[in-house]
Amino acid sequence: MAGHEQTTQRSDVKTTKQEGSKKHIIAFIFSILLTFIAFALVMAGEINIDFVYILLVVLAIVQVFVQMAFWMHMKDRGHTFAIIAILSGVIVVFTCVIMALFWTTW
Amino acid sequence: MSSHSHVEGQLPHEPERATLEGRNKITGFWLFLGGETVLFGTLFAAYLTLRGQIMDGPAPNELFDFALVAVATALLLTSSLTSVFSMQAMHRHDVKGLIGWLLVTLVLGAAFLGVEIYEFNHYAHMGHTFSASAFSTSFYTLVGFHGAHVAFGLFWVILLLFQLKKRGLNTTTAPKVYLFSLYWHFIDVVWVFIFTVVYLMGKVG
Repeated sequence: MAGHEQTTQRSDVKTTKQEGSKKHIIAFIFSILLTFIAFALVMAGEINIDFVYILLVVLAIVQVFVQMAFWMHMKDRGHTFAIIAILSGVIVVFTCVIMALFWTTW
Repeated sequence: MSSHSHVEGQLPHEPERATLEGRNKITGFWLFLGGETVLFGTLFAAYLTLRGQIMDGPAPNELFDFALVAVATALLLTSSLTSVFSMQAMHRHDVKGLIGWLLVTLVLGAAFLGVEIYEFNHYAHMGHTFSASAFSTSFYTLVGFHGAHVAFGLFWVILLLFQLKKRGLNTTTAPKVYLFSLYWHFIDVVWVFIFTVVYLMGKVG
């Protein structure tokens, strides 16, 4: 019984590992794609500047979410503290950046 | 579960979380990364405030060399992927694979730093020196701080490689390598924002 349990556990570990490798490569291709889109957007020119700014920030945030979720394992269980730590930092950053933008455009 | 049931002399699947010390290190490191987020955030805010003040120096859209930036981005992104592979090798208890992928990460990181040094030198020759304008000072502070983090990471991984060679993979060395991998991904995440905010937005105007 115990032996049987162990073998099922083993095969579970194996499948997650194989899926793991694939999803990291997909995250990599996705990151390259997002970088390329951002790059092409700027090189294309002749588009509304405010629209380009917003789209660039959105593309960067999406890429960072993908990398943090998969490469830094933040989507995995037991990462509540990690999310709290990074979010606390992001709140401060958000405040600083909003103040900087407010100051320069006011 | 696996951390309690593992046989003596045999590593659990995730050796970095096998001991309380290892788990505490990871938790503490996340707190550090939260602080690092604030550090880079304030530098970004300073850059956003000052980037319009170019005085007699070159403007962002005539300065930035996109061929160099594209190469640097590709190098750092790939090194982030190879550090993921090193963690997967560690979870397979494949020490050779772990050391091999860390070496690839080290080489890619060093290449990134080389490109960045060349880039800074190139800009300095165009009159974009540290004290040329508020734009140049905030640019070098932000991008240079990121480069300093890369340089620190390279020294760190060299020490880890020596330790892995000497002591092998165990529940003491595994958390250290895991923390390096977290740190390296964080450096890549910061670069995504530098690439967007400094270079791409600089080109748009």
